[in-house]
This record gives sequence, structure tokens and C-alpha cells, in this order.
Amino acid sequence: MKINPAFVEEILTAFIREELGRAGFHKGILGLSGGLDSAVCATLAVRALGPRNVTALIMPYGKGFGSDLADARRIAKALKLQAETIDISPMVDAYFKKHPTDNPVLKGNKMARERMTILYDWSARIKALVLGTSNKSELLIGYGTIHGDLACAFNPLGDLYKTQVRALAEHLGLPEDIRTKAPSACLWPGQTDEAEIGLSYAELDEILEHLVDGRESEDEVVARGFPRKKAARIARLIRGSEFKRQMPPIAKLSSRTVGHDHLYPYDGNK
Amino acid sequence: MKIALAQISPVLGDLDRNLDLHLETIEKARRAGIDLLIFPELSLTGYRLRDLVSETARDPRSCREFQALRKAGRGMSIVVGFVEESPLKPGLFFNSAAFIRGGTIIHIHRKMFLPNSGMFEELRFFARGRTIRTFETPWGKAGLLICRDFLHLNAHYLVFAGGAGISIAVSAAPGRGVAGEDGFASSRMWEVTGEAVARLTTSFVVYCNRTGFEDGAVFAGGSFIFDPFGNLVARAAYGRPDFLPAEIDPADIRRARRAMTFKRDDRPEVTLANLERIVRLDED
Repeated sequence: MKINPAFVEEILTAFIREELGRAGFHKGILGLSGGLDSAVCATLAVRALGPRNVTALIMPYGKGFGSDLADARRIAKALKLQAETIDISPMVDAYFKKHPTDNPVLKGNKMARERMTILYDWSARIKALVLGTSNKSELLIGYGTIHGDLACAFNPLGDLYKTQVRALAEHLGLPEDIRTKAPSACLWPGQTDEAEIGLSYAELDEILEHLVDGRESEDEVVARGFPRKKAARIARLIRGSEFKRQMPPIAKLSSRTVGHDHLYPYDGNK
Repeated sequence: MKIALAQISPVLGDLDRNLDLHLETIEKARRAGIDLLIFPELSLTGYRLRDLVSETARDPRSCREFQALRKAGRGMSIVVGFVEESPLKPGLFFNSAAFIRGGTIIHIHRKMFLPNSGMFEELRFFARGRTIRTFETPWGKAGLLICRDFLHLNAHYLVFAGGAGISIAVSAAPGRGVAGEDGFASSRMWEVTGEAVARLTTSFVVYCNRTGFEDGAVFAGGSFIFDPFGNLVARAAYGRPDFLPAEIDPADIRRARRAMTFKRDDRPEVTLANLERIVRLDED
């Protein structure tokens, strides 16, 4: 779980510069929620590209939940990047007025996808690539909205567990209240990731590290002293969320098919 | 003898830009009085080519890229990595490296051990080389290996048994593990191997890795040279491009082999007899 944050910063800022440069871009754009992951990603982007080349869209639903809107603005100000606030409530409300629901997950997913469409619209307007902010913990258990917050051009944080993102945040000098506030997907007021997942990130990350990096079986993880129920639940979440991590399958009919045997690198286009 | 490791970040699939990068680096080496300039694995094409393999393949004896390299590198020796397709083996693509001396290709090594698990899928796109030969250079016999070859004991042994005193390896090794004090954890594996091989073969071990990113994979850099006593001569930066010149004395090979008589005492015929027995038994 330990990382050398200075080395990670060096690698990730170089990654951001190279991914943009290769695609012929020099600007990056990302959604800034007021939470830890997007704050870390924005900081890395500013260090990689300079504040003039990083745009942060702050996209609350109405006034947002809790302190997030104020926190996002504070981070944007401290980083001196290009920030814009766009209230997504008119678009989201218009839809749910016609197709009402009481299901907060449906509402939350719609909000995440609303933000995605705005990010990609801005991406084309200002010629900036969308930086992803999903961490390894979320990606592995599928704690994200497909085509919503999971959508991006490239993702600097996707191989860092939440615990490691926190260590990187401390190295980057992010304010303590941002680093210690309860992580939330902001799908509804008062929501926290840990309550919804049913595990603390510390515990989740430790079990994930054994299952994924250590390639251990569920039984081996239980033998280490972790509760069977938790290990089994995490293993189930990983298996059940593969669809969020891959391109969808294509029925193969011809002799050469996208994804099957038409195999080009993501980065290899001039 | 002045040697330089060109720890570059090639552009994936773009031979024109990579050729320019090579020519600029050759010019830089010329100004620095370098005798031997080494580029990393697949330096002309980039590594994660997948279906670009066939599109970037070249015949080194006729293609314009090699003509330019041979012309530019006249005054020195250079090692270049590329995708090879020879007219004698059409449709077979090799992950190859060429040793060019004074404008003439004197040796081509085809990668023998192709990694094909986890993040690697070379066997899906490349054919395997079958031989490890040593070759004459102005500084004595040398051997040439490519990346994963370097992690197979028998590859080093063949270079040693073939009489080399300089073992050159070109690489596109990704970095893995970021908990350590300096660089990637995986860089230790290459360094420890390099030091051990230098000691056990009383040879120079010259390892040139690349940097940069391809489809998210980070190439680790950390190129190095060990002398025939196992001392680190020089090491390049981790995780970023570098140009590492170093001075080595080929007479160190003789000095090391006088002190440590591993080469004199080696018994390849015994190795061969035992290998034949082991391979035969395995067939039962």
C-alpha cells in the first residue's frame, strides 16, 4: 500500500503531459467536485501543464451538497486554474419532471452523466482532453457511473487505491480538511461512499490489495483474519463490475472485427 | 572507449519522427566523441505496436531508414531496435536489434524469448528468433540480447560461451512497484541481474532501456553499465529520457578474467552433454 509520492508525482505529471501531447493537445479539463480525487488530479494537471492549461468545471446540482461547492471553489482558487461553475439542476430537473423517480441511484447516475456531457462539450469547445479521476478502489468494485464519472480520455489516478491517493494528496500539500472529509459520490445529501459500500476504504483497500495485487483467493484473504462476509462481498463486486471496465463485446461476423482481431494500440495514431 | 546509452522515448508507430530522433542523437553522440551508441528495444517503432507490427516492419538491408542510419553513423558503432521482415522470411516479423559498425550492419539479433503473459502479448504479433551469436567489434567479441532475453540464464550463458566480453542488452521494460526510495521496484530486478551476470561472466554488461508511456504502461528507464568486476560504471535516470555517456576500458575484461577464472574453467561440452540428457529425459 505504501507509495513513494514524490516519484508517483513525477510519473503522473509526465503521463499527463505525454498523453495530451501525443494527441496534439496542450490543455486538460476535469470535473472538480470538492472531493479528494478530483482535487489531487487537478493539482497534478496544474503541475504538469500550468494553471492556464487546466480547466475545472464545478457542476453542482443546485447549490450542491454540504461544503462541496465551497471546497471546489477554494481548491480552484488555490490552484489558480481556469474554473467555471455550471448548475446542472435545470437539465436534471427537466428530465425527472417528465420521468419521475424516487430512486436516488437513478438520480445520481443521471447527474453523473449530465456532468459527463458537459465535460465532453467543453472538451470540444476549448480543445482540451478530459482527465479521469476514478481511483483503483472505485474502478475495481465498480463504484462509478458507466458513461458518467467513469468517462474520460485518460486517467492518471486509476492505479492508486484511495488510501494511496490520500498519501499523494498529503505530499501535494492539499488542505487537511479536504484530505480527511468523508469521501462521497454526491449522489444525494449526506451520502458517503463508506456507508454505501459498507466498508471503510482502509479495509476495502487492504482486501483489494490481497485479492488483486497479491492474486490471493477469497479463502486466503479470510485466513489472514478478514471477515468472510466482507471478502466475499468485495470479490463479488469485482466480478460483477467487469462491464464498467471494458469496451462492450461485438458479435464477430467478418474476418477482421473491431476488438477481436483489429488490434491497434490506443496511443499509436499519428 | 566511450559508450553512450540513448534512453529515449520513441513515438509509437511513427518511424519518421523516430528516425529524426535517432539522427539527432547520433549527431549529439558524434559531438561527444562516442564510439558506441546504443538505442533501446524497438527504438525505431515504439513497443506496443500490436497490428502496427506488420505496417512498421522493415528489411534493414534495403529500407531508407537504415540507409539514413548507416550514413549518419559512419564514424561510430550504433545499436538500433526495429521490427524486421526479411525477404527470405516474408510474413514473419521479428523483434530485432542491429549492430551497425562504420555504416555496415555486422550483426542482427532476433529476440528469442518473447514475453506473453500478464501485460505482455508479444507471441501474438512476433515470430521467435532461434540463435544467439557473438560478433567481432573493435573492442573484442560482443553479444546482443533484447529485453526478456536478459532474464533467461541460458541467453547469458550462450553469450558467455560464444566468447563475448561485452554483453549488450536493449530493452523496453515497464516499471512496476512505486513503494521504493528511488525508481520502480522492477528496476532492481534488472540491476541485480546485470551485476550478477557481469561478475559471473567477467564481462561488461551494458543495458539500455527506454522511457515514456504507451497505452498507460510506463517504461522505467534506469539504463546501466556494469564492468567485468560487477562494479556499476554508470546509471541513467529512472522514468525520464536521458543520454548517458560513459568511459570504459576493454582491458578490464582481461584483468577480471585473470583474477576470476570463470571463463577459463567453463566446460561447455559438459553443459551440452547434460542438456542433451535433460532434454531427452524430458521427452519420455
